[in-house]
Amino acid sequence: MKRSVLSRAAETIILLVVCFVALFPIVWMFLTAFKNPRDAYDISLNFQPTLQNFVTIFSNPWNLGHALLNSTIVAGATVLLSIPAAALAAYSFSRFRMKARKSLFFAVISTQFVPAVVIVLPFFLMFRSLGLLDTRIALVVVNVAIVTPFVIWMIKGFIDAIPLDSEEAAMMDGASRLRVIRDIVLPMAAPGIITSAIFSFILTWNEFLFALILTRRHATTLPVALTNFRTERGDLWELMSAAGVLITVPIFLLALVIQKHFTRGMTAGAVK
Amino acid sequence: MRDRSLQYYLLVPAFMIVVATTIYPLAYSFITAFRDWDLSKQRRPQGFVGADNFTQALSDANFLSTAWVTAIFVVVSVALTVVLAMGLALLLRRRGPLHDFTRIILILPFAMSPALIGVSYRFMFNPEYGVIAKGLGQVFPPLAGIPWLADPHLALGVLIATDVWHWTPYMTFMCLGGLASVPRATEEAARMDGASSLRILWDVILPQMTGVLVVVAVLKTIFALKMFDQVVTLTGGGPGVATETLAFYVYKVGFKWFDMGYASALAWVLTAILMAVSAGYVRMLLKERKMATA
Repeated sequence: MKRSVLSRAAETIILLVVCFVALFPIVWMFLTAFKNPRDAYDISLNFQPTLQNFVTIFSNPWNLGHALLNSTIVAGATVLLSIPAAALAAYSFSRFRMKARKSLFFAVISTQFVPAVVIVLPFFLMFRSLGLLDTRIALVVVNVAIVTPFVIWMIKGFIDAIPLDSEEAAMMDGASRLRVIRDIVLPMAAPGIITSAIFSFILTWNEFLFALILTRRHATTLPVALTNFRTERGDLWELMSAAGVLITVPIFLLALVIQKHFTRGMTAGAVK
Repeated sequence: MRDRSLQYYLLVPAFMIVVATTIYPLAYSFITAFRDWDLSKQRRPQGFVGADNFTQALSDANFLSTAWVTAIFVVVSVALTVVLAMGLALLLRRRGPLHDFTRIILILPFAMSPALIGVSYRFMFNPEYGVIAKGLGQVFPPLAGIPWLADPHLALGVLIATDVWHWTPYMTFMCLGGLASVPRATEEAARMDGASSLRILWDVILPQMTGVLVVVAVLKTIFALKMFDQVVTLTGGGPGVATETLAFYVYKVGFKWFDMGYASALAWVLTAILMAVSAGYVRMLLKERKMATA
């Protein structure tokens, strides 16, 4: 099929504009992160790059290293707790035709639509009386709540796509269901499970509301630590940008790793 | 057959998590919504006050204003996101180096932390040294020196822009998934008959995309109703209360004013709206599945 040069040119221009709009805020943040404070207040691109901001955010009084550690532990623990439980449930939802299946599945899914701000109120009160406010444990618990239903949904999409044949053959040969799950389904679903794990890591890493309400100092994660750079002296943009780079780079790398599966998994889960 | 019980055992860990971390807090805040409890004065919840907390909302000018702000935010951001995502998906359906590059680039806004998006937009829209505010002023002199985030309407506009920037990529991928399942044959046939591209889009592609587009719109509505992060980091709800969303107001009542009873009631109003929207969504999914199997 031939297309006119004009429509091809228009398409190229639109896509270039889209890339520009998508990238510009990110590129600007990266540039600002390497500016000294004086240059940060100037939109000129002609500046002497410096690494000083990255040194500053890791030293007193900002100590972002601690928030980085918190973010990593909280996101990691959330993934480790939610993925195994979600994978088992997803398998059950995908393979068994139980009577209550449909309503159970939708009960799980609809909890995903409950706003976080509703869940956080009781948790705040509960953690307060247990003395768990401002701890990583508290953050892991609430994040698992949000992530698990979502991951069940995603992994189920991936398991649905695995053909039943090899599973049935193995069962014919007398393998137990649990063996089939361990030796056949899990290896085949591994790309999907890894994708879901990375996805929930990203969700937890970026999570802001819980961390804002449930932490003060000790368990603050990176997104909340960002707000510390709003000081009485005004906003310290060059430091905020450096912290932004710190938050963004690991997530961008993870997102690019799962890029292909990611788009497929998302659409499969949501549309099917 | 042992599978009979196994199918339920497999669900146990996930259900324990869901019950403990969602159902229980939901029930707790539902009960609190009918009680009097000012956390700054009282350690424990006080007596039941019937529906007082809910009727208070109806005469609370702050609440009504946040409901209005949320409604505008949802309508505009959903409409913009759906139209942009569908348009982009139509462009990205073709293959090519630039197309593939754009697909990869689009992951980035979606992966970025919403709190950070709010921060970076606040920086870029600062009238004195923000790159967008200043850049616009240099290209279009009448726009110079506009205090973007100090004007109620413009601040809401910037808030919507952050949300559309964040979500359009994801919704584009969903539309692309939908487009992939639209058979090319009818389209080719129409093109052979000499139908214009616009006609084909309107008469052939869009009718087959309605299911996916509704799903996209409903999901986006759910996400938009929960809008919170950028409100905190971009505008702080201001100027005044011009950009306070419902979720932000619940946070303010609960964690700035410590009125737990009222905050729980407001949280449940938001939950009820979301449940109504998601119930419609779930019913649609079921209907689609039936159509797919029929």
